[in-house]
Amino acid sequence: MPNRASPANAVLEVLGFALFVRDDLGALRLVGAAPEWLSRLWPAVAAAGAELPAEASPFLENFLIDAGESWAARRRARSGPWVEHDGQGAEVQLEATALTADGQSVLLVERLGEDFEAKKSVLQKARETVIAYQRLNTEMQKKEILLHCIAEDMSAALANVITSLRLIEMEENPAKTRELLGLASRGTEAQQTLIHRVLDVFAEELQGFYGRHASADADLRAVTDRAFAAAAPLFSEKGVHLSAPKADASEMRIAADARHLERVLANLLENALQSTPAGHEVAVRFEDEPDSVLVRVEDGGAEIPPEASALLFSRFALSSLHPPAADLRLHFCRIAIENCHGEIGHAPRCGGGNCFWIRLPKRRAPR
Amino acid sequence: MIQKKLCMIGTSGVGKTSLVAQFVHSVFSDKYLTTVGVKIDKKMVAVDGSEVMLVIWDLAGDDDFQRLQVSYLRGTAGYLLVADGTRQITLDQVRDIQKRVAEAVGPVPFLLALNKADLAPQWEVDEAQIASLVAQGWTIIRTSAKAGSGVEEAFSELSRQMLQPKP
Repeated sequence: MPNRASPANAVLEVLGFALFVRDDLGALRLVGAAPEWLSRLWPAVAAAGAELPAEASPFLENFLIDAGESWAARRRARSGPWVEHDGQGAEVQLEATALTADGQSVLLVERLGEDFEAKKSVLQKARETVIAYQRLNTEMQKKEILLHCIAEDMSAALANVITSLRLIEMEENPAKTRELLGLASRGTEAQQTLIHRVLDVFAEELQGFYGRHASADADLRAVTDRAFAAAAPLFSEKGVHLSAPKADASEMRIAADARHLERVLANLLENALQSTPAGHEVAVRFEDEPDSVLVRVEDGGAEIPPEASALLFSRFALSSLHPPAADLRLHFCRIAIENCHGEIGHAPRCGGGNCFWIRLPKRRAPR
Repeated sequence: MIQKKLCMIGTSGVGKTSLVAQFVHSVFSDKYLTTVGVKIDKKMVAVDGSEVMLVIWDLAGDDDFQRLQVSYLRGTAGYLLVADGTRQITLDQVRDIQKRVAEAVGPVPFLLALNKADLAPQWEVDEAQIASLVAQGWTIIRTSAKAGSGVEEAFSELSRQMLQPKP
C-alpha cells in the first residue's frame, strides 16, 4: 500500500482523500498524511497509523457493515454522500468507498467538492421544477373542475328552458302557460347572467370563484326560493315531489355569497333529484341554531354506504383513495361552503334515503 | 444512556430537514435547500422519565432523482414519515414509501407528520383521507416546521413508541 513518500499517497492527499487500511485485527488505520478536513473533523484520527473508531460517525459505522461485505466479496461499495459537522459546526460533505487493493481492505473517505456542489445544484433545480409542475397541475385540475361546474350550470339553465317549453306545448290553461313562459324567460336570463359571470371570473382569474366572502350576506330564504323556482320544472317532469321548508317570517341572513349559496342548493337539489325515483319526495328543511342554520336536503334514493360517504366531497382525480368519478358538483359545494366557514356532510336518512346537510354561519348584525 | 436511531423519510420538498432544524436547533428558513445523501443530528429527549439520545437520520427525499437507500435504514428504531399537506401527491407517495420501508425494517414504530400546517387554507389533503389512514392504524400529527407547532409532539410521540417494549 502507498506510504507517506509514495507518489500515489501524495496524489490522494492533494485530492483530499483519507486512506484507511484494515489491519489483521480488523481496525482501520490511516495511511499517510491526514487531509486538512480530517484534522478538523476527527482530530484523534489525524495522525498516520491512527485508528478510525467506528463510533466516530454513526454514518460510517453503518457503512462499515456494507464495507465488510464488499471486502469479503472483493467488490467495491460506495456509501453515497453524507454530511458531518466539524468542531466549528461547519458542514463537511463526504463520501466513502470500500475496495480491495493489493489484497488489502481499503476505505477511502473523500471530501466532496465542486463536482458535488454542481450535482447538488442540478438536483435542486430539478426538484424545484417538479414541485412547480405539481402545483401547476393542481391549478389546472382546479380549472377543469371550474369548467365542469360552468358547463353543468349552463346545461341546467338550458334544461329548465327546454322543459318549460315542452310543458307549454301541452298546457291549455293560459295562467299556467304564462307561468311556464316566465320560467323559460328566467332560465334564459340565468344563462345570460352566467355567461357574464364566467367572463368576469376569467377576467379576475380563479379567485373570484374560490374566495371573497368577507362582505358576503345572503338571505337564505330568498336564495332557497330562487333555487326551488329553477329546479321546479325538472322535478315536475320526473314526477318527484319537492317539499319546501316551513314558511317562517323570520329572516335568515347568512354570511355567504348568495350566488355561490344558490348554486350549492341547486347542486344538492339536482343531486337529490337524480337519485330519487318518481313518486317519491325530496324535502328541504331548516334548523335554526344559535350561531348557524342547518339546511337538510333529504332524498328518497338508495342509501350511500358509509365507506363512500366519507369520500363524497373529495377532490376530483387528485387522490388515489377513490376513483376520479367523484361528483364534481359535491366537490364544488364543499369548496363554496368551506369558503364561507360553513360545514357540509352526508348522513343516512332515517327510514331510507340520504340527507345532505350544510351548516351555514349566521351573518352577525353590525354593532 | 439509551440511544435510538430515527429516520426522516418522505419525498422531496416536504420539509424533513426543516422539521429536524426546528426540533434540534429551533430555527426555520423559508428557502428550500435540497438534501443530497444523509444528514445526521442528535438530540437528547426525556421520554417518560428516561433520557434518550435521538440520532436523527435526515434522508434525502425519495424521488425519481434519488431513491431511498435501504441500507441507511439499518438499525432504525422508528421512522418519521413526512408529507406536505398542500401537495396531495406527497401523501400518495409517502404511502408507497411506507410499504417499502416496512418491508425493509419490519414492524418498527412510525408516525406521519403532515407538514405545512401554517398553510392550512391551501391544503389539498382532506379530513377523509386522514381518517382513512388513522383507521389503518397510522398515527398522524399536523406539523409546521415554520411555526413550530406539532414538531416537538411528533418527535416525542415517536420516541415514546420507540421505547415501548416490542410485542
